Amino acid sequence: MSTTPRQPDVADLIAALPEGLRDDLTQDDALQHLRAVLSEPSERPIPSNQFRRMWTLGTLQGKVAAAYIAWWVRSGLRNDDVRQDALTETHLKVALKLLDGMGYLRGAFLKLGQMLANWPDVVPEEFADILGRLHFEAPPMHFSLLRECVRRELGADPEDLFDDFETRAFAAASLGQVHRAKIKGTDQVVAIKIQYPNIARCIDADIRNFKISMTPMRLMNDWDNICEQVDDIHRMLQLESDYEQEAENLRRARLAFHEGENIVVPRVYSELSSKRVLTMEYLDGLHLGPFMETNPSQETINEHGRQITLASFRLGYKHDLLYADPHPGNYLFLPDGRLGLIDFGCCCRYTPEDVAYLNEMEEAWDSRDSDLLHRAIVKAADLSPSQAQEKERIDLTLAWAAWVWEPLYYEGDFDFGDPAYFKRGLEVWGSLLKKRYVRSLPLNQWLAKNFLGIRAVLARMGAQFSMRDIHLQESTVRS
Amino acid sequence: MRVSAETKLKTRRRILESAQNLFADKGFEEVTTRDLARAAGIASGTLFNYFATKDSLGLAIVALHLDDAREEFLRTRRADESLEESLFAHIAGALRHLAPCRGYILTILETVLTPYRIAHQCESAERIRADHMETVHDLIAGAPDAPGLEPSSVAMHLYWTLFIGVLSFWSHDDSPGGEATLAYLDQSTRLFVAALRDPAPLHAPTITPATLPVAMDGTSSESEAES
Repeated sequence: MSTTPRQPDVADLIAALPEGLRDDLTQDDALQHLRAVLSEPSERPIPSNQFRRMWTLGTLQGKVAAAYIAWWVRSGLRNDDVRQDALTETHLKVALKLLDGMGYLRGAFLKLGQMLANWPDVVPEEFADILGRLHFEAPPMHFSLLRECVRRELGADPEDLFDDFETRAFAAASLGQVHRAKIKGTDQVVAIKIQYPNIARCIDADIRNFKISMTPMRLMNDWDNICEQVDDIHRMLQLESDYEQEAENLRRARLAFHEGENIVVPRVYSELSSKRVLTMEYLDGLHLGPFMETNPSQETINEHGRQITLASFRLGYKHDLLYADPHPGNYLFLPDGRLGLIDFGCCCRYTPEDVAYLNEMEEAWDSRDSDLLHRAIVKAADLSPSQAQEKERIDLTLAWAAWVWEPLYYEGDFDFGDPAYFKRGLEVWGSLLKKRYVRSLPLNQWLAKNFLGIRAVLARMGAQFSMRDIHLQESTVRS
Repeated sequence: MRVSAETKLKTRRRILESAQNLFADKGFEEVTTRDLARAAGIASGTLFNYFATKDSLGLAIVALHLDDAREEFLRTRRADESLEESLFAHIAGALRHLAPCRGYILTILETVLTPYRIAHQCESAERIRADHMETVHDLIAGAPDAPGLEPSSVAMHLYWTLFIGVLSFWSHDDSPGGEATLAYLDQSTRLFVAALRDPAPLHAPTITPATLPVAMDGTSSESEAES
């Protein structure tokens, strides 16, 4: 019997909602809204006049997304015993109620619902899109709000600091938006990233509420590990909301590449930056979608694939920086063939312990010694002695590691555009989720996001090149 | 000796300036009318010729700042601003100008500006409210993105309640740079404009037996509603 869950229909989704949430939801309504929800969710800005309504679980859209989450949870429990099912029912109700009380994390939950709706029957390009959409969204800001933010952060009006300040944002940032301008009295074009006010405090409050509401789950086996992972996500979100940290990451990354490597990181203007405003050199290039529409040659695509890979390995091995959120919006393809790296908000800095752990994992994989590999898996997944004996868990985790390492051991050009490769990775990842094998050292969550994110970008490009060669060249640097 | 209008105006201005400094230094509650008179260089009795109470003096300072804020707002606003943006800028400017009064604005709010006291006879408070609401009404009537929008009296009352709510929130806000107030103000103006564009919730609800209050004996009071 196939273990792949079928795609839910609308009736499944409505039935999956706990009582009280589904009462006023008719199938016709849901069908109509479902199409809208799944069309191009992240392309549609939050309509400002519906701001409050969009973010409320009481809306049809909120319920549809919640229904997907509920369906996913239930679908994994069909063969489990009734007692466990009832316990999960309680957790589910708590989790769904949580959505309604959250400020900004709610956006991420809705996106999770949309992602689960498409997975696992999704084709790689669509999945790549969805990965790119999984981020926190802030409401759009009009110029009067921007002016107040800049005034409070930099001590002067935008008109006094910049010329030609464009009142319309040219890009959305995860926690705010980005505007183009020139530094006052110069021709230097800059990109100014401005954070929606108070978002960092809202994230703290959301995480606090989330943890309180999760306490009914404390008797679960993996409670300790879940808490560690939530803490780590919290830490990362705090870093992401601190633009001074991002400025430091940009400065560090800017030193990582030589001129001939054609990888460029924008310069930071410290005197025009703060914790909530970041002023950077503006790079004029295309994002992945428009770049692919120019029908670039395979050689150009391969070269950019190499640059993306080199950037990731160089930052990781030589500068202890993990580009943890490599979605398509973070890359710019410049007309002169250079690759621009533009978003360093979601970056982990490796500690010496992290570096030692990563070296240990690589040595275990290199050795192909089954005992060493088993020990590495137990450590990476933070397993208890009894969990370490679960063959299916170990095999699935090994399959995931094998998928990650496959292009690094492949001699010659690896075809990242091969849908079979990407789909295999998704299936293994999906099986791990479906079996609730969610234990992991927190660092691995960010590594997994990096592996999947980069490969999703390379898959969309259809890049073919030797990742092994770049890995061999760069991995010798780490001490 | 008759005091000329100009001298009166000068004295009034001197009282307001010295009072603002005193309130900032000692706190509104700690300052007495005797302190106020001494700081302005006048007799206590003279002070009462200008301001009947300490609250009315505080209110006059608030009114001055709001006048300045409105003048600046009208001078600097862009023609293409959306209604949300105009309302936001109008209130944000007011908060900036009111910064010297932040420590005691709550007292003023509680005594004379509260929505519960609209009917109360306080000329200065009524003038503040009327001037502010006139600007808001003009902004709504002239909004380029909402032609023909005519706010009902319920909507305008809702606006005043939101405005007082923002002032109250701001007076308690301890976030860095007052960023929580900015978010609160942004969301309040979005809410208000959303309610203006889709006024269904602001209309009186349809009276049906199911929505009627239930009398103590368990029967509905339909007949009372009809009368």
